[in-house]
Amino acid sequence: MPVWLREHSWRQTLGAVYLSLPLRGARATPANIFCSEQYLKVSIPPFLFEAILYAPIDDTNSTAKIGNGNIFFTLYKKEPAMWDSLTLANAGKEKLQYLRENAVLKAQEKAKEETEAKKIAKQEHKKCALEATMKLEEAQRKRIEDLKEKERQKVAKELEFWKNQQKDADKYKSVQKKGELHQEKEPLKERKNETMSKTRIPNEGTSKIRLKSTKGCHGSSSIFSQNLKEERLPAPRAAATIEVTFTPRVFPTALRESRVAEEEEWLHKQAEARRIINSDLSELEDLKEEEKNPDWLKDKGNKMFAMGNYLGAVNAYNLAVRLNNKLPLLYLNRAACHLKLRNLHKAIEDSSKALELLTPPVPDNKNARVKAHVRRGTAFCQLELYAEGLQDYEAALKIDPGNINIEKDAEKIRHLIQETMQSS
Amino acid sequence: MSVAAGPERPQVVSHVQQALNYTVFDCKWVPRSARLLCLGSAARGTGLIQLYELHGARLELLREIEKPKPIKCGTFGATSLQQRYLATGDFDGNLNVWNLEAPEIPVYSVKGHKEIINSIDGVGGLGIGEGAPEIVTGSRDGTVKVWDPRQNDTPVANMEPVQGESKRDCWTVAFGNAYNQEERVVCAGYDNGDIKLFDLKTMSLRWETNIKNGVCSVEFDRKDINMNKLVATSLEGKFHVFDMRTQHPTKGFASVSEKAQKSTIWQVRHLPQNRDIFMTSGGSGSLHLWKYEYPAQRLKKDSEGSEMGVAGSVSLLQNVTLSTQPISSLDWSPDKKGLCVCGAFDQTVRVLIVTKLNNI
Repeated sequence: MPVWLREHSWRQTLGAVYLSLPLRGARATPANIFCSEQYLKVSIPPFLFEAILYAPIDDTNSTAKIGNGNIFFTLYKKEPAMWDSLTLANAGKEKLQYLRENAVLKAQEKAKEETEAKKIAKQEHKKCALEATMKLEEAQRKRIEDLKEKERQKVAKELEFWKNQQKDADKYKSVQKKGELHQEKEPLKERKNETMSKTRIPNEGTSKIRLKSTKGCHGSSSIFSQNLKEERLPAPRAAATIEVTFTPRVFPTALRESRVAEEEEWLHKQAEARRIINSDLSELEDLKEEEKNPDWLKDKGNKMFAMGNYLGAVNAYNLAVRLNNKLPLLYLNRAACHLKLRNLHKAIEDSSKALELLTPPVPDNKNARVKAHVRRGTAFCQLELYAEGLQDYEAALKIDPGNINIEKDAEKIRHLIQETMQSS
Repeated sequence: MSVAAGPERPQVVSHVQQALNYTVFDCKWVPRSARLLCLGSAARGTGLIQLYELHGARLELLREIEKPKPIKCGTFGATSLQQRYLATGDFDGNLNVWNLEAPEIPVYSVKGHKEIINSIDGVGGLGIGEGAPEIVTGSRDGTVKVWDPRQNDTPVANMEPVQGESKRDCWTVAFGNAYNQEERVVCAGYDNGDIKLFDLKTMSLRWETNIKNGVCSVEFDRKDINMNKLVATSLEGKFHVFDMRTQHPTKGFASVSEKAQKSTIWQVRHLPQNRDIFMTSGGSGSLHLWKYEYPAQRLKKDSEGSEMGVAGSVSLLQNVTLSTQPISSLDWSPDKKGLCVCGAFDQTVRVLIVTKLNNI
């Protein structure tokens, strides 16, 4: 149950009502006061003051002053008239409730309207601000454009002036040139025609002398300076050749041509292949350390091949492959051995495996690929599968176009194919 | 990379734009005049030389000369100021020197190379530098040849790959170090990133290096002084500035490099009136104006006591984008500071004026 505050005092004038409400020690904030047109409420729990006003007031302009344990209301009447009392006397419960609700609703509506109005005002302000900034920027831009235009015009003027200067200088020079040409001819003629009769020269001389005198010192000095300059110019250089070498690269193409990505892939693959160790160690336990190294085994195999011990070489390569089956060179060399041993199918198998491992095709593994194709081609031919053999030889030729041996062999195979076709 | 203050920065003002109906490969100012030359290739596969004169805000065509083969490059570097003969290199490997007043028959002609002459430079003429006038040409056949217009048919110097070596295209050549009658140096840039410096007095290779990307353009800051700086530009937007005053026995020349544009830098040209300012033109149609600042000390001693150079720094003064196509050729006017012409692959030639260069 709220505690009603009833000790209020009021006085009025024609236009306003002054209401003083002591708060009995409670502290009031603006949020505790609720006022509408005909309803006034102060609620500071547990205290409550409520008044249905005698007549409507102008609640927007009315004020409330909080201070000294007191709220002092200044309520401006809507219609200037003297009130009989502050509140409506016979206010029934229902009327009270109705009024209260009404008041609340009205207040809410007012609040809504106010927010709407605020929003609209804000938008207007924003638009205004935007227009103002746009104008400012336009002005700025125009200023810069004007500056630029001025520069341009100034510069154009200067250019014209300079050009006219040049024109004048040119004219002067062209006249001078003609004068010089005449004057050049003069000393030349004098030198050449020494044997000629002297009578002719003075005649020409006199007419030229006139020109000479008008042009004055400037003209004559130029001939002399030109002659001197010609003498001062050194003879053409003795011809020589300088040999030039170009920067070598791992990949012999310029950065823009290199197929770096593929080459990286190839290098990566090689590195991977080195690292594989097939862990079938049960049988290999009785081997010496060095015999477990695929590279050492490859070398051994190569040596045996060179000495003609093909079976031994094959054994070495077999062991190496068991240890590391990703090294293309092992298969390549083993293919060569099989060729020599006439195990042609095995040779084909091994060359194919080698080619598989030699992807991606890069200049680095060019030689290996050529060898693989040639060996496989040879095996095919020895099996009399000439068409396949020719295919391999042509592939080899594509990789290495300058190789004469492959060319010759390819030719031979072509002949053989023609012969067999003719005979069958 | 620092940028100069706003209103004081040099501005690049586009003065005249001229649309052409052929591909222009090179454009050059005619010395001592307001005239410029455009060299290129017409659609029907013939070469064109057009001579324009600057008239107010437009270019007036004075003369058009057609030649049987497309022309790639040209220079006035090796002729005297009175004669002003143009030396050109064409797509067929011919080097011709033309008198523009009488262009039917060349003054000098030689089939210098087996393939297109990519770049040409001249020294000893125009009152700049001393010594005999010489022309150097660099070609796709991998050779660099130096010609003297007084000697027919054979070059006075020939830089060719060793027998059996695979050749790399030579993309650019430049003369330098021509400060007296004997000294002269040729710098050549190749498509694999090699830069080679040939000394013509001793007829030997003086220095070489590789900058990884193909070298599009090299230029010394001045041809007629003791070599001071060399700028080399390359593909992928990089350029290197080498300090050429001090050569270390193993490390060569000190350099600073800058990656400026996202695309190829086609040309570099130093301002004739100030050798520390240069402009680079790029494949994205942009021009960048740079200034080189020298370091506090240009020399220092390394651990063994031999001297090595110290490279300075480069700062961007201004940049501007003029076209969507690469700007392949650029030339400063030797007579008016800040006036330059550039030719782009969108078949336009533009005359530009760079302002406020006096304050730099």
